[in-house]
Amino acid sequence: MRIRSLVPGVLAVAASCGRSAPKSAGDSTSAGALGGTIVVYTAASVAIPIRAALDTFAAREHVTVQQENGGSLDIARKLTELHQIPDVVVLADYDVFPKLLMPDQTTWYADFARNRMVLAFTDKSKFASEVDSANWPTVLQRPGVQLGRANPDLDPNGYRTLLTMQLAEQYYKRPGLYDKLMKLSPAKNVRPKEADLVGVLQAGEFDYIWSYESLARATKLRYITLPSAIDLGTPEDTAIYAKASVKVAGKTPKDTLTITGEPIVYAVSIPKAAPHPQVGEKFVAFLLSPEGRALMHAAKLDALGTPVIIGGGAPASVSAAASAQ
Amino acid sequence: MTAPGAGEHALPRSMAAHRTASVVAALCGSIFLLFLVAPIARWVVGGGTSGVGELFTDAELRSSLWLTAVTATLAMAAGALGGTPLAYLLARRRFRGKAVVAAVLDLPLLIPHPVAGIALLLVLGRESAVGRALLHAGIQVAGSPIGIICAMVFVSAPLYISAAREAFARVDPRYESVARTLGDPAWRAFRRVTLPLSVRGLIAAAVVMWARAVSEFGAIVILTYNPKVASVLSYDRFTGFGLTEALPVAAVLSILALIPLVALRALRPERGAGLDV
Amino acid sequence: MIEVDRLEAQVGSFQLRDVTFTVPRGQYGVVIGPAGSGKTTLLEAIAGVITPRAGRVVLDGRDVTGERPERRRLGIVYQHGYLFPHLSVADNVTYGAADSVFAREIAERVGATKLYDRPVRALSGGERQVVALARALAIRPSVLLLDEPFSALDPRSRTATRRIVRAVHRELGITVVQVTHDFTEAGLLGDVAVLLDQGRVLQAGPPDEVFRRPASAYIAEFLGAENVFAGTVRASGHDDAAPTDLLDPDSAPAGGHRALKFRSGPLTFYAVGDATPGAAHAVIRAEEVVLSTEANPSSARNQFAGTIEEIATLGALTRVTVDVGGVALVAALTTRSAHELGLTRGAKVWASFKAMAVHLC
Repeated sequence: MRIRSLVPGVLAVAASCGRSAPKSAGDSTSAGALGGTIVVYTAASVAIPIRAALDTFAAREHVTVQQENGGSLDIARKLTELHQIPDVVVLADYDVFPKLLMPDQTTWYADFARNRMVLAFTDKSKFASEVDSANWPTVLQRPGVQLGRANPDLDPNGYRTLLTMQLAEQYYKRPGLYDKLMKLSPAKNVRPKEADLVGVLQAGEFDYIWSYESLARATKLRYITLPSAIDLGTPEDTAIYAKASVKVAGKTPKDTLTITGEPIVYAVSIPKAAPHPQVGEKFVAFLLSPEGRALMHAAKLDALGTPVIIGGGAPASVSAAASAQ
Repeated sequence: MTAPGAGEHALPRSMAAHRTASVVAALCGSIFLLFLVAPIARWVVGGGTSGVGELFTDAELRSSLWLTAVTATLAMAAGALGGTPLAYLLARRRFRGKAVVAAVLDLPLLIPHPVAGIALLLVLGRESAVGRALLHAGIQVAGSPIGIICAMVFVSAPLYISAAREAFARVDPRYESVARTLGDPAWRAFRRVTLPLSVRGLIAAAVVMWARAVSEFGAIVILTYNPKVASVLSYDRFTGFGLTEALPVAAVLSILALIPLVALRALRPERGAGLDV
Repeated sequence: MIEVDRLEAQVGSFQLRDVTFTVPRGQYGVVIGPAGSGKTTLLEAIAGVITPRAGRVVLDGRDVTGERPERRRLGIVYQHGYLFPHLSVADNVTYGAADSVFAREIAERVGATKLYDRPVRALSGGERQVVALARALAIRPSVLLLDEPFSALDPRSRTATRRIVRAVHRELGITVVQVTHDFTEAGLLGDVAVLLDQGRVLQAGPPDEVFRRPASAYIAEFLGAENVFAGTVRASGHDDAAPTDLLDPDSAPAGGHRALKFRSGPLTFYAVGDATPGAAHAVIRAEEVVLSTEANPSSARNQFAGTIEEIATLGALTRVTVDVGGVALVAALTTRSAHELGLTRGAKVWASFKAMAVHLC
């Protein structure tokens, strides 16, 4: 008897591991409110703004939120390998949709926000008072400076770092700059994901880390902006960005994938096999609406003025919200 | 209830109850054992053969396993060296604040692992007094095997100290008293009497510590991501490439880890060194 | 020699308070006390295993208070032997011995060598004690401490082991302190008896003295005296008048001793002593009570008629409880005598004892 009564408890604990605490939003009987649950998988770099949007949505609709954060590739694997399907998927790299998730998991996705690469640092960092958008390549190369970056095989931030460094070499017309910058962040300065770099920076082990603007602002780090021609933040500069490319690991360790420079655009979609599609639809519509965009701005995310839907089959309410001003 | 083939008499009530209790205990034990073993067995069977095969082709896997073995063993040695005197003090001496010390020693077990990693960085990283001194001496903690060992010791030593303390406590202090009256100073009495009588418990404690060190991920990855220990490698493989790539790594790790685990357990001295004399 | 001076110690709930006694060199001291009196604590304080809060321990003239156990040159044998389970019998014996030849000799003497090829776990209680004794003696201690060494043994081993201890004590001339809850051992083995109760020394001295002249009724009962009576002491002779006649044989003080009367309930005893009139206890050893089937006049001043209430035979000794005017009086005789007298329950007997056998405290 005693073992039996333990099991639900154990299962509950196990189920809640890795998930942020489910937020119960009270009674689901108010008129007009949806009620129920929504399961959202979010790229870690945009978790905070999405959480803000979810909280507002959940309060309004009396919905219980289950949010899981992870690397974009992590999340893709959850769907393709582990068959754990959420209601809403938010990825830091819109490219993962066509490459891994379409057409099996979904047939469309919506670009809704953008981001750009920055160099984040703290007051403790070496030369923090001198560094700026122009002199950073020189300052970083001064002796003793530790530069951290994310793993390109696991985190889009990682390969975007490499692309930015390549573009920098082209932009500043300094041949060999890429190799010099790579030397500044050798294997021991690599961490799995961008989020893992922040703690190490704050502990003083790194002086500078390659980060996203949204993350640097959300974690209250100081940062320097980079020229728009290299920071992957301006869709208008897509052609320039395309001049850089890196090879990262593909489907297996022996394969490689070539990734060309592209602007950093966040994309969202509703998987075909979503457990609560109605709620998912309502949330995505909310996210892409003017109100949702304003919320994300407030949470330091650069939401696109006009979200763009790629692919067919998106629900009508979603398309309508995207075009609303 | 009649005992099969036992003749005319039914089992007396107390014996029957005892039988039922034994059956229930065996049943529960089997289910629990299955719960623990089945997931591991499944992936070892799933990835085992290809994993072992990969050992010969995958240099990164080989070096990762070797690094894991070396760092975990060094961490175990460091933990045992530093933890044994502490465990002995806790078992034998009364001193003020003993309960606080014991509780503090258990803290690393409670802290979320990444937080533990950050905590270690703050104390051993290049910005800290200790870290700076170490760097001066040419020893880098973060990003090196030293960092791995530090993270391993931090999360696994408390387990060792707890278990070693119990092992010492089980040795009646009177044995030591006798040894001292026979002419041994305290340390020699410890070496000649307490240690041999507690060595089984100490080895068991070391095994637990070693296993815990091998499985650690969260704290290690903050300090040292590259070079990769096996736990980090399997995480990388899973995140980057999915189950099919990750399973063999985990399977090989499990199979190889069995060898020292079994060996260490087999090393424990004969039952003859028991304490009920 | 062992001198303990105002020793105070505490281990858990066991306390020693103001413990003082001396066992001269080469003599055998027995510390008697019930469970919880602090006997083991006392031994461990002498051994240096525990540190006393106050007081001194002097061994062979040397103040060893504060010295570590390994420097005190003493051996200790606990109640359960505490043989090292991971070592052989031989290694146990030679554990601390500097002279292996002597170690072997002493082991031979106490009978431990014949156990050498047995595993420690397979030894019986008596055999363990013998090995523990050999181990303690092998280091040539000047002082030997024994903590209830025979308590856990069966009667036969007990007798045998006692014999060995006594022999070894005589031959080696070491000073011994043994603690026990069995007061008969004091009489059998000891030169000095120390009564320990609740951490305090009640009385110390030669066993004979302690047994015959217990300092209080409590001690008397403690020592197993069966005839302890509460009552009042009067000067003997004339009941109510104080004695003044120097020629009165009853009132002449002889070396401080007077003839006294002791009244307890319906009984009046004649006693000799220097007790002052007032409330007191009278103790009469059962061995001092003589029974007869007839009222024979004898030199015993105390003679009472009574009925046998109970007869308890234990081997060669018999204890007969006689009801004397409602008061129980216990006499100890040889079973043979009891048999020859034809003593039975309910029979009428006369119990007598000398005035000198009445101890007043």
